[in-house]
Amino acid sequence: MRAQYDYRDKFDFVLFTAVSILIVIGLAAIYSSTQNTVNEQNSIYKQLAFWLVSLFAFSFVYSIPLQTIRSFTIPLYLTTILLLIIVLFLGRVAGGAKSWIPIGPFSLQPSEFAKISTLLALASYLSKPTTDIDSFKDLGYAIAIGMAPVLLILLEPDLGSALVFINLVLLLIFWKGISLFGLFVVLSPAVTALAALFGTPFLLAVLGLIVFVLLIVRKDIFFSGSIFALNLSAAYFVDELYSILSPHQQKRIMSFIDPGADPLGSGYNSLQAIIAVGSGGFLGQGFLSGNQTQLQFIPEQWTDFIFCVIGEEKGFIGSLIVISLYTIIFFRLMKIARISKDEFSSMLLIGILIVIFTHFFINIGMVLGLLPVIGIPLPFLSYGGSSLLSNMIMLGLVMNIYKNLKI
Amino acid sequence: MVWECVKELVNFAALSRQRIFIFGISIVIAVFVIRLFQLQIINYDENVERSSGNSIKAIEQIPLRGVFYDRNMELLAQNSPTYSIRITPSEYDTSDNSILEAALDLDRGTIKNILKKNRIYSRHIPIRIKRGVDIEAISWIEENFENLNGVDYIIEMQRTYPGGVNGAHLFGFSKEITPSQLKKDSFYVPGDLTGYTGIEKTYEKVLRGIKGYTYILVDSKRREVGRYKEGKNDVTSVKGKDLVLGIDAKIQKIAETELAGKSGAVVAVEPETGEILALASAPSYDLNMFSYRTPREYLEQLAKDKLKPQYNRATMSAHPPGSTFKILCALAALDLGVIDENTTLYCGGGYTFGRFFKCHGAHGSINVVQAIEKSCNSFFYQLIFKIKLDRLKEYATQFYLGKKFQSDFKEEVAGLIPNSRYYEKIYGPDWPRGILVSLGIGQGEISTTPLQLAFFTALVANNGKSHLPHIVKGFLDEHKKLHVNNSAPLNINIKEDIFKIVKEGMYLVVNGAGTASNVRLPNIKVAGKTGTAQNPHGKDHSWFVGFAPFEKPKIAVCVIVENAGYGATYAAPIARKMIETYLETDSVKTLPKTTEFTSGRY
Repeated sequence: MRAQYDYRDKFDFVLFTAVSILIVIGLAAIYSSTQNTVNEQNSIYKQLAFWLVSLFAFSFVYSIPLQTIRSFTIPLYLTTILLLIIVLFLGRVAGGAKSWIPIGPFSLQPSEFAKISTLLALASYLSKPTTDIDSFKDLGYAIAIGMAPVLLILLEPDLGSALVFINLVLLLIFWKGISLFGLFVVLSPAVTALAALFGTPFLLAVLGLIVFVLLIVRKDIFFSGSIFALNLSAAYFVDELYSILSPHQQKRIMSFIDPGADPLGSGYNSLQAIIAVGSGGFLGQGFLSGNQTQLQFIPEQWTDFIFCVIGEEKGFIGSLIVISLYTIIFFRLMKIARISKDEFSSMLLIGILIVIFTHFFINIGMVLGLLPVIGIPLPFLSYGGSSLLSNMIMLGLVMNIYKNLKI
Repeated sequence: MVWECVKELVNFAALSRQRIFIFGISIVIAVFVIRLFQLQIINYDENVERSSGNSIKAIEQIPLRGVFYDRNMELLAQNSPTYSIRITPSEYDTSDNSILEAALDLDRGTIKNILKKNRIYSRHIPIRIKRGVDIEAISWIEENFENLNGVDYIIEMQRTYPGGVNGAHLFGFSKEITPSQLKKDSFYVPGDLTGYTGIEKTYEKVLRGIKGYTYILVDSKRREVGRYKEGKNDVTSVKGKDLVLGIDAKIQKIAETELAGKSGAVVAVEPETGEILALASAPSYDLNMFSYRTPREYLEQLAKDKLKPQYNRATMSAHPPGSTFKILCALAALDLGVIDENTTLYCGGGYTFGRFFKCHGAHGSINVVQAIEKSCNSFFYQLIFKIKLDRLKEYATQFYLGKKFQSDFKEEVAGLIPNSRYYEKIYGPDWPRGILVSLGIGQGEISTTPLQLAFFTALVANNGKSHLPHIVKGFLDEHKKLHVNNSAPLNINIKEDIFKIVKEGMYLVVNGAGTASNVRLPNIKVAGKTGTAQNPHGKDHSWFVGFAPFEKPKIAVCVIVENAGYGATYAAPIARKMIETYLETDSVKTLPKTTEFTSGRY
């Protein structure tokens, strides 16, 4: 037995290397985009420190038994909910959102850690053998676990993080094996809500479609009626929600729905990002040589717009390398999920995949002008301690599962 | 059917969630790669251009405007530094308006109005809110720089006029460019000055030079962060060309001083070249007030003045030429051969044609020389019928009487020399021929400008050979070498003998028993002719035209003093003083025709 022991069975070097390369690329991009600034020149050292701290966190999560972690699911979940409540009162406002709890010289972003605890809670609940995802009660329970942090985060308001949670809940339920009709019940309010944002004609069209589906499926009248009522209330809720959003977020949503409405206002970041990426060309303008980056045309580029730096300074090749590294991570996670021994592990892995992928999708989609400007960090690359720490903890969870695969 | 399909879909979804995930992830990645290819490879050029346009800012270097020299290289107009305060609307906070207005001594609401007027331009272009600001205001701006976002100042040049020549109507002034002018010429940006009147306008393209550009790198807040390519792409501005005018500062000053307090005009022309030696109009105005934003009170004062100081009487006022016109009639009659120098006509104190037309004496039988000398009306009353109206008009036109010069002064009127068609139009085909009688002595429906009469005199003095009158002699190149402007030569086909006869009469006007004996000078032979323009609105205008020296004319002068009565009394002495000064100066004695910079003539 001992002769066959191989470190590769205990540690996924491919995944870890991909993540490490991303972090190094991120450090270079952070250095490039902050070296000319007045107040942010320390960012590179801070990020290095965060990396070190997160490596410890990674090792810790990696080494403790998964069952121990699972047994702390509920306290962890409740703690992060509490933190999300605290941040609403004691939080520091940055970028129009009250998302940070100041701790000494650093600030903690509870929503980053809530992602992990919610993920754990959901995975734990959904993997219980007694949970029937097609039953209304259990489905409602799962949605409630996911939506509690969403509501709190929307109050900050941090639309980007909220979207990650919404996506997490929906996709995990889908992964769990919800029937198509069940998915329709869950998804239709979201579609209705979106249609409500676009205006009454869209809303009426979508409601008409829902009535049509309900007539085809022919469930009992009470059931169909309540689904329709749920949709109506979603439309109402989104209007309320829209008014909760800060004006700059409303503007961002509106500028995506109608890009010509305010080209110099909220469209500015998007335009500058496109110019930055586009002017990179095939090989890029070179490290520390990007016009847009060095002259700071994009505000706070080292956080949510870090991909611009890579696009501009490293070009098409650099961008492809970054996207390939993410692709490796996604497919690696998928593979481990497929071969993992228990449903909790598989749920957890898929949840981590969903969280990282949603960040990747929204962030790069935004930088490339395919999605509205929504503040959300690019995992492993963007500057930010909480984000890096929580991503490394998630990596620790993945490795923890991996090491148990072949015993 | 539908139900079956739905069921199948449900099965597909239930069985291969993993495949759907993989499919979804792959789609997203593919879309991102395609989008990257589109932005970075297909639209690369466009994005690079937008990126540099973003960050490279061209700072305009306004070149020095060309200055004016007189014919003896005396400086007439130059550039002096002055401060201008500017606002960049995109950075400026309008709540600073009242503080700024107080500090700059502007009326309340001025800044608001200026900003409003400039709203059609980009908000990133600085707008001048005051030119010619004093140093106290600048130091105040310096002290409060931190609190005044989007406010800065620049050093600009304004015109000043050393050497004591006012030359308001001659030089003209510049004004801030209008939106419609901006559309026509890409040279300018909002807030630029451009020649508005006088030679500042005519020679705008020569005087303005070539703009320079310094390229700097700016950050997203348009703050300077460095030079673009260490200034390799910068363009140095090229100073506008300096102009040398035909003007002689000394006699220009005399003209201006002598006219002060009167209303009228003086023009002096060099007969051989057509160069304008002096051009003044009174009342005048202070050009210094137009060097930058003109005070409203001054503009109001000018607008209220009934005598219209901004109106250039030398080229824009047309009055009947009076007896000075007799010279043209004599020339025409002699050239046509309807009389010769010995032909006499009878003056019995007047002439009857329908009614009696008076003369100011009974001159008996006199020839053309005597008729000019004594300004006999009867002689010319009769002469016009021998010349015939339309032939007279042809002669007048050759001499540019009643015709625009279209030379380097744009503000001019044509005046009027009638022909038979003109009278037919007004009075019908049977127009009363009696009208012609007074036309022979330059009265009635006939008008010429002072410049036209001055040039006419110059042509007569130089036997019909000259160049189209012009103010600017030429421009100086970077080696201070004069390049002379080509002005159209003029050669009137009348025999020199005929000019001689007429000039003899003009000589006698001054030196014989004529009407302008007060112009007589001890050392210089002056010839001339007085005239009185009948003025139906008030006192008559007083004309004098003359030239000197008689044998080899160097200067021809025309003076008009409005509402002054008889020509010899007021107009002639001004001309005498100018002739005397001009011909006595060393420059004319030692350098008879040209300056040391002359590179060749026409």
